[in-house]
Amino acid sequence: MANVLKRQIRRSAKKTSLYIILVGIACIIIFPVFFLFSFSFMSDYETYSEWPKPLVPSFKAHFMIDKDVEGYHLFIFNKSEDDFMPFGPLVFTNNEKDVDNLRKFIKLQSNCKISSQQIVEYLEVVDSDSRVEFTIRKDLLANYILFFQVVNGAPKAVLNSLMVAGATILISLTIGGMGGYAFARYFFKGKNILKLSVLFVRMFPAVSLAIPMVIILAKMGLYDQPLGLSLVYSVGQISMSIWITASVFMSIPVSLEEAAMIFGTTKVGAFWHITLPLALPGLAACAMYSFIGSWNEVIAAVVLTQFNPTFPVIVYKALVGSQGQINLITAGSVAQAVPAIIFTLIIRKYIIQMWGGVKV
Amino acid sequence: MATLELVDLAKRFSKKVWGVKKMDLEVNEKEFIVLLGPSGCGKTTTMRMIAGLEEVTRGTILLDGNDITDIPSRNRGISMVFQNYAIWPHMSVYENIAFSLKLKKMPAAEIKQRVQETADMVKIGELLKRLPGQLSGGQQQRVALARALAVRPRLFLMDEPLSNLDAKLRVIMRTELKAIHQKTEATSIFVTHDQSEAMSMADRIVIMKDGVIVQIGTPDDVYFRSANMFVAGFIGTPPSNFFTVKCIYNNDKIALEHSQFTLDLDPKGFEELKEYNGKEIVIGARPEDLLVVPDSEAVFTEEILVVEPQGSHQVVALNLSETIVKMIVSAEAKVKPGDNIGLNFNRKRLHFFNKETEDRIHLKNEVE
Ligand SMILES: Nc1ncnc2c1ncn2[C@@H]1O[C@H](COP(=O)(O)OP(=O)(O)O)[C@@H](O)[C@H]1O
Ligand SMILES: [Mg+2]
Repeated sequence: MANVLKRQIRRSAKKTSLYIILVGIACIIIFPVFFLFSFSFMSDYETYSEWPKPLVPSFKAHFMIDKDVEGYHLFIFNKSEDDFMPFGPLVFTNNEKDVDNLRKFIKLQSNCKISSQQIVEYLEVVDSDSRVEFTIRKDLLANYILFFQVVNGAPKAVLNSLMVAGATILISLTIGGMGGYAFARYFFKGKNILKLSVLFVRMFPAVSLAIPMVIILAKMGLYDQPLGLSLVYSVGQISMSIWITASVFMSIPVSLEEAAMIFGTTKVGAFWHITLPLALPGLAACAMYSFIGSWNEVIAAVVLTQFNPTFPVIVYKALVGSQGQINLITAGSVAQAVPAIIFTLIIRKYIIQMWGGVKV
Repeated sequence: MATLELVDLAKRFSKKVWGVKKMDLEVNEKEFIVLLGPSGCGKTTTMRMIAGLEEVTRGTILLDGNDITDIPSRNRGISMVFQNYAIWPHMSVYENIAFSLKLKKMPAAEIKQRVQETADMVKIGELLKRLPGQLSGGQQQRVALARALAVRPRLFLMDEPLSNLDAKLRVIMRTELKAIHQKTEATSIFVTHDQSEAMSMADRIVIMKDGVIVQIGTPDDVYFRSANMFVAGFIGTPPSNFFTVKCIYNNDKIALEHSQFTLDLDPKGFEELKEYNGKEIVIGARPEDLLVVPDSEAVFTEEILVVEPQGSHQVVALNLSETIVKMIVSAEAKVKPGDNIGLNFNRKRLHFFNKETEDRIHLKNEVE
């Protein structure tokens, strides 16, 4: 009995310590990402005037307007001080220009929208009573909107990125898919060596190839063009696509195609009627993989574009050139990461299936 | 409803690997032919060549006298049931069966009727809307069958269609397939490695080994007149027992001398053994042709090793000079391990084989 108990204790101790380590590792990885998200929703005031930083961004802000002989004063509730703190212009009057400035200030610093008329109304209340407190819901997406407004060429860069990703998917999926099908269905000499060697192109870091790539693309007239960039991405993605699609096609029994050929189709028809519909989820996963690869790539894009940068380049440059305004930069980063994250979640199942050898 | 002829058909996969070395076969109209042989003997390869899924290395395939060797599968007028069914998982049962009919541009109403009719014939009329993933193995098998029958093929190929079913269902499907064949009268080729399946279904059995045909014949032919020791050992459960004996031929008596016994034969009816006088030959005795007799009539007596009751009969195994001899006795016989029993041979039903070539020594008046 004692032995059994001892063994059980030892086993659960082992398990517990393993979990502690795993959770620790997860925290190290997850916390920066979490803060990235969190900051992207914070206003300037939250970002720079409160300490400790809240774990989650607030959804609203509390204000107070008071009045003394000099004029009106605006206060904002500061969570770290647990009290109202002076906010914005020390003194202001109720003339139109002051009120408009105040409105803009509130919007910029606390991401809260309030109309001039509303402010005037509050001021009237202050006049008759003595002070007024009010709460405004924060505009959570303000940083994102602002990012696209203030960073030069951000919307166009998104468009460029989409074009590059689209072309990369198209090129890598057609060529890679054909290669994958050949690897899955045919025997030929040197097949395994060839299959390994297509991965070699991925060994070279983009930076080391940058200069030759610039020269070649310039000669082709594709420098600073989405198509040129997508060609460069395709080189790496094709090899990935070959591996992924090969495993997708391998999971579809040849006999399904053979049956189709016996029951009336040509070889191409069998592929079209049978293999393609069955491979579609896997091929979609492969496409998304290409999308993520192309959407997130920075280094080659920095080198190979000039006036037509892709979105990650814009975010990168905003980050490098920024002075403060962390919350704004994080908004850009998150905007860039979100599509990739969503796609990763969608294809997770297929990738696990493919690498796990479980049939699609 | 067609005739098939394979002329000198061969398939070589690589320098050393032959799928089929040489096949010559004529299949008559409406015939149900079974290709039988151990796994790896080239049955599937033969089938795939007939279906057009495998290029032939040598030889000709004639369907109704027309050379179809180089015609694409879809134009051969054949259909096939695959071992793994190969029904299309993304199509409903209806779509699976209708696939070939649609490609033939058959009018929709006619397709509908044909699909229903075929599905009813194989008893899946209720399942037309289902997807294959929602069906049991047996039902999937029926879908594959219906799909192949719907095209009304000239030649119907089946590659081990029953091997993935459980034992009970397999026996049921045998009967159904046979009934379907009698109804459709399509010339059929059925592949199996299960000899009892072959015996129970075939009009003629083609026994293959290592890429060549060993014997072609009716179930009776291969059972009672096995062409060589391989066939005698492959057909029947339990298989034939073999005894290597020395043949001493005198005009009034033949003595077959085994290390453990001597079997005397009346030369009448066994004249062909004369040329083996003084040589070694092999006796093949089916388990039911070993008879339990009183010791006085016994050719040899031996201790029972194990008894395997089978319900309708019992299989008794003996250990005769380091080889296991199996025989069948009636269910009522009181036998138990350790008993000594006397044995004799049913002489008329014995097979004799040339020891060197392992081929049958044909006797003039063999059992019909
Ligand atoms: N595609 C192939 N490539 C190389 N050898 C093959 C191929 N298909 C079958 N073979 C070989 O041909 C022989 C006959 O195979 P097969 O016709 O499948 O046998 P069976 O169906 O009787 O079990 C086997 O030795 C097998 O290894
Ligand atoms: Mg086979």
